[in-house]
Amino acid sequence: MVQILFFIAAIGAVGGAVAVVLLRNPFFSVLALVVHMMSLSVLFLLLHAEFLAAAQLIVYVGAVMVLYLFVVSYVGGADEPIDDAGVPRFLAPVLGVSLLFVFSLAVGGSGLKLLGTRGGDLAEGFGAPADIGELLLTRFLLPFEIASYLLTVAAVGAVLLARRRRGLEPLDEAAGSRGEGAR
Amino acid sequence: MTALLPAGLIEVAVTAPSVEYGPMLPFFVLAGGAILTLFVSLIGGDVAQRLLTPLTAVATLLAANAIFAIRLKEPDPSVLTGSLALDDLALIFDIIFASAALAVAVIAWRSKSLREVGRGEFYSLLITAVLGMTLLSSATDLVALFLSFELLSIPLYVLCASDLRRNGSLESGLKYLIIGSLASAVMLYGLAMIYGATGDTNFYEIADMLAKTPAASDPLLLVGVGLLLVGLAFKASVAPFHQWTPDVYEGAPTPVTAFMSVTTKAAVLALLVRLSAGPLAPVRDNWAIVLAVLASITIVVGNVGALRQESLKRMLAYSGVAQAGYLLVGVVVGTGLGVAALVFYMCVYVLMNLGPFAVIVARERAGAGDGLRGMRGLGREAPLLAWPMTICMIALAGLPVTGGFIGKVLLVQAAVFGDWAWLGVMIVIGSAISLGYYLRVVAAIWMPEHETASDPSAPVLAGADPAADPGAHPELIAVAVAAAALTVALGVYPEWLLDLARYAGETFIALGV
Repeated sequence: MVQILFFIAAIGAVGGAVAVVLLRNPFFSVLALVVHMMSLSVLFLLLHAEFLAAAQLIVYVGAVMVLYLFVVSYVGGADEPIDDAGVPRFLAPVLGVSLLFVFSLAVGGSGLKLLGTRGGDLAEGFGAPADIGELLLTRFLLPFEIASYLLTVAAVGAVLLARRRRGLEPLDEAAGSRGEGAR
Repeated sequence: MTALLPAGLIEVAVTAPSVEYGPMLPFFVLAGGAILTLFVSLIGGDVAQRLLTPLTAVATLLAANAIFAIRLKEPDPSVLTGSLALDDLALIFDIIFASAALAVAVIAWRSKSLREVGRGEFYSLLITAVLGMTLLSSATDLVALFLSFELLSIPLYVLCASDLRRNGSLESGLKYLIIGSLASAVMLYGLAMIYGATGDTNFYEIADMLAKTPAASDPLLLVGVGLLLVGLAFKASVAPFHQWTPDVYEGAPTPVTAFMSVTTKAAVLALLVRLSAGPLAPVRDNWAIVLAVLASITIVVGNVGALRQESLKRMLAYSGVAQAGYLLVGVVVGTGLGVAALVFYMCVYVLMNLGPFAVIVARERAGAGDGLRGMRGLGREAPLLAWPMTICMIALAGLPVTGGFIGKVLLVQAAVFGDWAWLGVMIVIGSAISLGYYLRVVAAIWMPEHETASDPSAPVLAGADPAADPGAHPELIAVAVAAAALTVALGVYPEWLLDLARYAGETFIALGV
């Protein structure tokens, strides 16, 4: 059962990722990305990372991807197939293949050792929501706080950048167009 | 209640972590100061806006700096909440960050774009970036490392795009965001692999684990370390990951360029020093040679790239790439002397880089732009700007009687004593090439005026109000003169900073357990 589920999810993950790149229509690309994300969450579930699987489903599939779909639908990206003019065509595949090579090296070198075993020696409850919650409030309290501060800062930054869209009032003196100008 | 919970969960006894509020004080000051600045900027009135907000920011940075300075050399390398070590190595770099931010707060004070974009937001983001850097220099945990790296980066992305009048600024911010996100993603991959290979995120645990098992040949770990270094190299603009640097530096508002050109490098190097003392020490043989090759490529690419630049900001960007190469040598050597040289050179670099940027801002405000042309006749027109610029250029080139010379000598000495003599040779060659462009600036400053008159592009200056002489910006002159004076002071009497640098070196050795 686990094996079957694994292969279904693995094929879905790889197939979804390939489809994102190959499909010319942005709308279908986003849908393929949804398939990829959902397959990943199944893989997480098989690794006993229940919290991660749920978070993946809710945050990515549920929120981020739906947002993408809305944007693509509203902006009308579906009418204009992605045009990759300007970037050398060979560059992306070369980078992708070299990345694949590096990761295969990493995983093949040490990850395959555990292939026949039941995986790492983990404590009971590792990766469970309660465990993660406890870690966030104890050992990773500081990173947790940094993350919340980061969100505040991102909001401030977004407000700052939004001023550009509001439009600027005309300069009070012509010299100001040089940035600082004379005062 | 018990019945509702699955068995096993109830026994989880959560003990609250001991948060050392006292030692954490500087971080609280910075985090609170950033928020306070935002609130102060809500107070109405032009005077309040023009004075109170910058003053709040400056006060915050001064307070943080004072705490850092007081805590320096206190024998208390405490680990805070398990993910921070505010030891002397971190404190020295923290003082660099906060001081650079202070100078930049002054440089940016009367900038017109600041009013449009909102003073509160600008200063708040500046302080937050400093907070991210101070956290990064203290981080002893991979999770804290990544999050403080982001806390440093995100304000800078926004600050780069903060000049609303110029499209170049938005382009700069966007470019930096995309490249920076790529760097973060690569680094995160690396961190995940390091965690996978060692089973822990804590620096000390990783070091213990690697010391016990001969994991040096573990490809997972090595690929992880490699990706981590690539991510950091992007941020520190180490060649061949430097391509974004000139464009971003040119497009960003000049005060922001001044800030990030010095501090992001310092933050990444502080982190590299800490990593090389702890978790990466057992696999030093694997990465030191890679970093050495990167350093020499960086020195050559930066110096050669700077030769042909007409925009001073682009030139300083390439020069910054080259300086990153020099500084990396200190990490590669990895001895106490290497770290001491790195710390000394870093301090001097901050001074001799902030000086020119203050002058460039002054020239931009006078309507002369940031080109090499804008420097012509400066010697006659505004000697108080011309002299600091000249001194800083000479210092950047590494000529004697300046701190830059002492710093380079220290780096070469560290390289030779650490059996990396060829890196020392690279530094010398790089400095020789760099004379080609630093002296061009000096020549432009002191060239006779008639050269400018025949210049076809002179009408660009026609709109400049002759009354808007640089003397109208005393705070810029103050920053430039102070930076130049300190650079010379460090060249003539380097002992006090040398002591501090040597102390940092000893701290580094002590870290290595």
